[in-house]
Amino acid sequence: MSDAADPAPAATEAWVAPSWEQVVRDHSARVYRLAYRLSGNPQDAEDLTQETFVRVFRSLADFSPGTFEGWLHRITTNLFLDMVRRRQRIRFDALPEDTERLPGTAPSPEQVYSDTHLDPQVQAALDALSPEFRVAVVLCDIEGLTYEEIAATLGIKLGTVRSRIHRGRVQLREALAHLAPRRPVSSQDAVAEGSAG
Amino acid sequence: MNIPESHLAQEAIAALVDGELGGGPAARAARHLTGCAQCRMAVQAQREAKEALHASSDVAVPGDLLSRLCAIPFTADVPGTGGGLGSMSAGPGQLTVSGATGSWSVPLAPAPGPGDRPGHARWLRRGFVGVLGVIGVGVTALALNLPTDGSDGARTSPDSVARGSFEERTEIVPPVVRATTVGTGVAPPAAPGGTP
Repeated sequence: MSDAADPAPAATEAWVAPSWEQVVRDHSARVYRLAYRLSGNPQDAEDLTQETFVRVFRSLADFSPGTFEGWLHRITTNLFLDMVRRRQRIRFDALPEDTERLPGTAPSPEQVYSDTHLDPQVQAALDALSPEFRVAVVLCDIEGLTYEEIAATLGIKLGTVRSRIHRGRVQLREALAHLAPRRPVSSQDAVAEGSAG
Repeated sequence: MNIPESHLAQEAIAALVDGELGGGPAARAARHLTGCAQCRMAVQAQREAKEALHASSDVAVPGDLLSRLCAIPFTADVPGTGGGLGSMSAGPGQLTVSGATGSWSVPLAPAPGPGDRPGHARWLRRGFVGVLGVIGVGVTALALNLPTDGSDGARTSPDSVARGSFEERTEIVPPVVRATTVGTGVAPPAAPGGTP
């Protein structure tokens, strides 16, 4: 048992070593916010956040310095896309016991707002996007990543990032217009659709 | 073969809004926009969608989630190499993890890459030394605690513990929960395995 790891006292005396708790505290809000924007509900956001940190903890040895935030983004978005694909399969297989976890049991707008302080209509519009578009738009407009970072996070080409962001925003705007008819959105905006073709 | 003024490509519109268009293309796009209401509207639409998302404040993490996250070192099983958690040792300069398939070291010195953000990355690397040190304490505590308490360690043969090798162990979860009493000051153990 003398073989077992040394708690490395030398490394802890000169500086205050952040504990796992501190790592969690410094990064959980970001991960949770991303998970919430992507999944659109608190249960999935919690599950995704928990799973992300479990992966982080398990893969500490593989961590390469300087990429921590990118790493978090990558894990969270991949887990989200996995979750979506899994549910699509489940839906095709029509397993009844999982229906209550399918998107569609969205929390009330008041609940969303009190949880996230994000305009519930905006969150609902986000939820209306296809997952691939949603991820690209959220990483760009909420997380503030560059196109290059998004391409690296999702493992897609720069051109794909551009078109997903563009189409995602067009859809988002249509969804917002649909949710809030008061918003001054003219039908002429649809011309953006066919202008390049 | 002078190509007539065509409308901006959709991808260029998004890139323009995000400042991701290069100088030349951006200037061409600006020239086009002065004379094309249709593209101006498309740009405006992208901008509005971006702003709708941008205006969001911080999210508070639910308290119970936070405590579950903090308890991960004590509730998640760490596969390490091939199942058993080998031994880890952390020093100021590097971190050594050894397991069933050998040992590898993780250099903790600043990376030579251009994108290195010194303060932040260093803080994190040091954080991991601390975290892994804590794991080490947990493993040590496991080794110290097991022989005296047979009820939890039923699956572990005392021999393997005495030899200081954890290769045969595939699961370290339940005993490590008790390691919090050693005084690492990390987190009070939440109910293990509690999933929502």
